[in-house]
Amino acid sequence: MDIDVKNLHPLEVRLLRHVSLGEDITPEAIIDELGYKVGQSNQAFSWLMGKGFVKEKSRSTKVSYELTDFGRKEQEEGLPAERIFRFLKENGPHSLPEIASALSLENSDVGSAYGLLSSKKVLAMDGDKKAQAVADSLPADVLLQRALLDKAVKAGSLDDESLSAEERKAIGALAKKRGAQNSAFRTVDRDLIVYVLTEDGDRAKKALLDANITGEELGVLTPQMIQSGSWKNGTFRPYGINAPTSRLIPGRRNAYSSYLQWVKDKLIALGFEEFDGPLVENEFWNGDALFMPQFHSARDIHDVYYVKDPVHCREIEEPWLSQVARTHEDGWKTGSRGWGYTFDHEFTRRQVLRSQGTVLSAHQLTKAKVPGKYFGVVRCFRYDQVDATHGADFYQTEGIVLGNDVNLRNLLGLLKMFAEEIAGAEEVKYVPGYFPFTEPSIEVHIKHPVLGWFELGGSGIFRPEVTEALGIDVPVLAWGLGIDRMALMHLGLNDLRELFTPDIESVRTRRGN
Amino acid sequence: MPKIESTENMLYGLLGRKISDDELVDIFPVAKAELDGHDTKEGILKIELNDTNRPDLWSPAGVARALRTYETGKIPGYGFFSTKDDEKPSDGRTVIDDESAIGIRDYSIGFAAKGQTVTEDMLLTLIQSQEKLCFNFGRKRKTIALGIYRSDLIKYPVHYAAVDPDKTSFVPLGMDEELTLREICEKHPKGKEYGYIVSSFPRFPYLYDDDNETLSFPPVINSARIGAVKVGDTDLFVELSGPILDDLLLAASILACDMADMGFEILPVKVKFAKDTKYGREITVPYYFQEPVHASTALIAKKLGLELSTDDCIAALGRMGVKAVADGDGVTITVPEYRNDFLHAVDIAEDVMIGYGLDRFEPVMPSDFTIGRLSPAEEFSRKVKEILVGLGFQEMMYNYLGSRKEYVENMHVSDEDAVFIANPMSENYEVIRPSVLPCLLESESVSGHAVYPHNIFEIGKIAVKDASDNSGTVTKNSLGLFSSDVQVGYNDAASYINTLMYFLRKDYTLEEVSGDERFIPGRAAWIVVDGKRVGLFGETHPQVLESWGCSMPAIMAEIDLDKLI
Repeated sequence: MDIDVKNLHPLEVRLLRHVSLGEDITPEAIIDELGYKVGQSNQAFSWLMGKGFVKEKSRSTKVSYELTDFGRKEQEEGLPAERIFRFLKENGPHSLPEIASALSLENSDVGSAYGLLSSKKVLAMDGDKKAQAVADSLPADVLLQRALLDKAVKAGSLDDESLSAEERKAIGALAKKRGAQNSAFRTVDRDLIVYVLTEDGDRAKKALLDANITGEELGVLTPQMIQSGSWKNGTFRPYGINAPTSRLIPGRRNAYSSYLQWVKDKLIALGFEEFDGPLVENEFWNGDALFMPQFHSARDIHDVYYVKDPVHCREIEEPWLSQVARTHEDGWKTGSRGWGYTFDHEFTRRQVLRSQGTVLSAHQLTKAKVPGKYFGVVRCFRYDQVDATHGADFYQTEGIVLGNDVNLRNLLGLLKMFAEEIAGAEEVKYVPGYFPFTEPSIEVHIKHPVLGWFELGGSGIFRPEVTEALGIDVPVLAWGLGIDRMALMHLGLNDLRELFTPDIESVRTRRGN
Repeated sequence: MPKIESTENMLYGLLGRKISDDELVDIFPVAKAELDGHDTKEGILKIELNDTNRPDLWSPAGVARALRTYETGKIPGYGFFSTKDDEKPSDGRTVIDDESAIGIRDYSIGFAAKGQTVTEDMLLTLIQSQEKLCFNFGRKRKTIALGIYRSDLIKYPVHYAAVDPDKTSFVPLGMDEELTLREICEKHPKGKEYGYIVSSFPRFPYLYDDDNETLSFPPVINSARIGAVKVGDTDLFVELSGPILDDLLLAASILACDMADMGFEILPVKVKFAKDTKYGREITVPYYFQEPVHASTALIAKKLGLELSTDDCIAALGRMGVKAVADGDGVTITVPEYRNDFLHAVDIAEDVMIGYGLDRFEPVMPSDFTIGRLSPAEEFSRKVKEILVGLGFQEMMYNYLGSRKEYVENMHVSDEDAVFIANPMSENYEVIRPSVLPCLLESESVSGHAVYPHNIFEIGKIAVKDASDNSGTVTKNSLGLFSSDVQVGYNDAASYINTLMYFLRKDYTLEEVSGDERFIPGRAAWIVVDGKRVGLFGETHPQVLESWGCSMPAIMAEIDLDKLI
């Protein structure tokens, strides 16, 4: 067995070094010889037993009598019998209540002491019912009690085995096991254990000697040690570096929020400016401005949440309203033939909860710079049953790029940049996609080192019906990234609902990869 | 996204060859299709179609046509289409629309087919097409209802009118007894599903033949006799009704082309409208109504970032089934009979892109220099988060939708400022949160097992009513802060706020909060900055804790960050 003695506690070290193979070891001796406190001694033996360095050889019970505080007082001031005897000798006869009052004793104590002393013919009542001393000295058993008290006051206790038969009988009247506060002695039964060193213990001892570990090494470094420089005279005890650690609850960022922050920082690094907007939108911005016809199936009551009150916003900003309405109807001057229906000016003011992040891209077009790159990580609401893959509300990551000469090939380049920088993709594949507001439309699929092939996002060039109606006459690349899947992977989750869990413990312990 | 199924036999037959799944996966993008699954035991392929503006692709015939054309570059021809100037013979087959239907469901059109025996596979395919065209393209039958009938039982002309729903009755498909139209809406499963589309009108649409025999009650249900197409039938009549003529014509064209691809001979039917249309009072269906569309090569090059010649464009479009000719500065296309999705020249550019091959476009990085920048709210939020994390708080993130119980009742607040949803899917998600605090309390209520203290916060959006805004609402960036422990009180809250405001460099004063039942009276304060109340904090009232089922004392604070930025 390879014994690592570096992890032994100084109490163990000193004990081991102090004892030898074959000799009896008792806690009493250790307490006495090494100056351990009882608790320290108990700990040292318990640890060494646990390691198999010492073993129990025998165990017996020892009875002793500890002097109580009451006993100490009696030793000092005298037993009631002694005090009464002395009082009567010095002051002549007194009634029992007078004695009690003069000596500050309980009547009952005076009564019982008188009973004892009168039975021994030491005290007697005179004709006036007053007690008087009728002998010269106290009886033998009171003298014996006095002797026991005097003997005990030095050691604090008396071992049963050291008493004579008479003494044992006398101390019986003075000692109690429990409730001893009004007795002179407390009877204590103590297990007497004898330990011996084991073979392993002996090897450990030798290892300690070899390593010159004394147990006197320095423990906790204190300010006093530093100020006095006392640490210079010793060596530091090495600690067990693998000891169990305690749980700390730190203040912490939310792991999902940190991930989104990381995505935002990436996009900032790629030259994008962040946009944001209100949760309550209207049909105009949520759909009309994106050239989704008002009868489009995704704009159904079963796909969008309507606001109860106010049902409608007051107005839609001009000139966007007129331009978008005309574009829907006949294409306005965008070169489109339009959808060929009559634009509903009341429906367009109906208020909804934002259902897609592209809404904010549309808003941004009305105030965008050229060239310009913009993005948002925005909360959206979709009319869906809530389950592992659908939340009542969720984040979409969307953006636009405006430039005089941006085109499909730039869009592919942009997607490649996202795939590599944000998703860590190994391979990128583009396929034609479909979105009502972009033409052409591209989906980007990536091969992720962990997730394999999946759709990273959708993108396209905004239709002229979208951009020109909102006053932009340059091409606009629009993109959206499905980062939820990567977020789940990053956080080791497989249920979207977990991203917004209210469970504090779960959030406290969640880590990103 | 529409999803369809096809038997292997049907798809491979229409394609003219067997094709492996790997090959399908490779070529499907040209139709914006994805292979969703292949049950090899049953021989069923599942296909998802991503283009919601291309209903012609939502059938095995449509998918097979797109793939076949892409592979061969041969544009399919369909000779049965009439145009304004070229009317194909209808041989007495006529549909007459009555003016009584105008304003209810204006149009009914139809065509017939013969020469092929309906098999089980074919019947299921036709039912699926009917379903996709009516449900996805026809907005759940609102704008397109499509019925298929046994034409050998029909005496032309077919009549389409709106009739008294209580005086017209027939035996509907799937039932044995004769019901009035109104009874059908009440009792028949399809009536319960689709009856609402017409039930608010005094008269209901009705289709019957010249012998007064019922074809159907569109858009609800066919009759049990003429409207019950079975395996073995050879002669079919297809009828479509709805309020938008172009959508009906397109759906009719799509189904006619599909049926032609499946081996039917298409028989034109003359339709007499009850009102003037942009194509006149009378047309013969299937009817080609699309207009040519032009795109300049300059526009195509600008969109795609590649200078393609006219010939390149014409070849690419050919692979997409689009006939194109060189014309002036570019190409002019003849829109395929079964498509109507060319609204703008950019739609041609996309077909050129797909036909030319997306993998032939080399990615190029955008070269414009732009400055990246966080929104002011995000930048400020990060500062606040850093301070709170340093104070030992855990950041949380919550959903923004919840219930009245959570946001109003449990909080002991009025609902007058809350923004409710008119059409909630469930009462669990019926209102936007007007405050971050209920979310934090929900955390507390489900986290009794977590070691105390609970120090949590969130920075997120809330929305409340605000009459001064155009929308009558305002969305705010709000900080919510919550701490619970065996011993926690007002002074702790005041210290957190003081530390936060110190590091944000905001001088503030406090005003006592009164009448806010969320807090213990006399132990809550408004935070006032530059004379404006920006937030409040205090000891959570035990009645609120009790409503949430919480038993630890708590403090909380909420600050409108938009007022501090």
